[in-house]
Amino acid sequence: MNVSARTSGSWRRILGSLVLAILLEQLPWSGWALIVRPDFVLVAVLFWVLHRPERIGFGAAFFFGLLADFQDGAVFGQHAIAYAIGVYVVLYLRLRLLQFDPSRQAAQMFPILLGVQLMVLLVGWLAVNPPAGLSILIPVLSSTVLWYLVALFVRLWHGKGAQDRA
Amino acid sequence: MAMPGQLMFARRLGPTARLTIWLLIGLSCVVVDVRYHALDGLRSGFSLLLQPVREVMRVPTSVAAELTGFFTRHRLLQKERDALLVERAQLQLGVNRAAELVRENAELRALLQLQARPGQKVVHAALLYQGHDWFAQRLTLDQGSGAGLRTGLPVVDADGLVGQVTRVYPGSSEVTLVSNTEQLTPVFVERTGQRGLAAGSGHGQMELRYMPSQTDLRPGDRLLTSGIDRVYPAGIPVATINRVSRSQSSPYLRVDCLPLAGLDRSRGVLVLIAAPQVTAR
Repeated sequence: MNVSARTSGSWRRILGSLVLAILLEQLPWSGWALIVRPDFVLVAVLFWVLHRPERIGFGAAFFFGLLADFQDGAVFGQHAIAYAIGVYVVLYLRLRLLQFDPSRQAAQMFPILLGVQLMVLLVGWLAVNPPAGLSILIPVLSSTVLWYLVALFVRLWHGKGAQDRA
Repeated sequence: MAMPGQLMFARRLGPTARLTIWLLIGLSCVVVDVRYHALDGLRSGFSLLLQPVREVMRVPTSVAAELTGFFTRHRLLQKERDALLVERAQLQLGVNRAAELVRENAELRALLQLQARPGQKVVHAALLYQGHDWFAQRLTLDQGSGAGLRTGLPVVDADGLVGQVTRVYPGSSEVTLVSNTEQLTPVFVERTGQRGLAAGSGHGQMELRYMPSQTDLRPGDRLLTSGIDRVYPAGIPVATINRVSRSQSSPYLRVDCLPLAGLDRSRGVLVLIAAPQVTAR
């Protein structure tokens, strides 16, 4: 298989998963489902930053952040800044994160996702008004669970076991 | 760790420099949006992009609703029909009386040579999308400037006031809910006629502000729009008083209210468009 076929295949997968994430986010969520809805787009972006950093980087993360801002009717830049910081942290810890099996990787992603959400909180606080309660932090948990499921799926897809054999 | 196709020596900016650049862009976005409101074009662009996607993604839930509706029991439908027939008969009485009153009112107004009340047009809109309510309680509707919507119009459902249209795109619009902390609604208490100002307090609740501590307020009182702001027509139900408490430190009562409209339940709403005032001479 030559290089161009392989890269186009990976492009297809990257774009496919990002489009899927956007579609899931566009479902008419309401009530409790809206409160615990994981941040599909953020998980997809960070996943590809971890696995294909040469394809998905700051620019894409920033654009999807603007999209998330539009979705929530928030200030433009609120999610974009937070997503860019998330990308930076994942790039910084990339080699370390790649060593772990899904459950430990998800445990390491938790503080990163939390940091991203706290950044959203902080920018919204400074730019608009104090947030109504701390329900903003609930999606961090569900995003972590989503990360675990995605990482597990990819790992099983590639025919490796769910856990590292030491 | 050199991979094929990857440069051995970096020739582009490092991650820290790139992060700094994107952070600066992000901060300028925030400032431009908050201070100068200059990014509305970008918002309409996103709205045009996402509008068809949202329409399509609404299909699964509506199909599910159709299916559950299909399996409703026949007996239940009959019962509902009977109840509706009774209700219609009662409403018909009310309508007759209202028609009589309208005629009488028109005559009296003519006698007093008052302006005729501006007519009202109603636009049906379905709820398209609900955003997170962390900072701004907002809904997206599937009608926009094409249907004659503009910013500032009141939005109601069958039970009461939902909010106000705050952003309008060609095919959709955003509604700020009455429970938004920055949304003020001039109201009066139905029982006493006392005027006041209801503000959102987040979490889907509202509060009545600046009520002196001797005001006559009881839990269960209904608040209606007073109409003195000329934004909302008078008499739309807004909220019921939930709890009234006095505090030692403040000269005002603390009045918690619950909005009457199904802010997180209603799927379809009405937008009231006041027709331009015609000065009848």
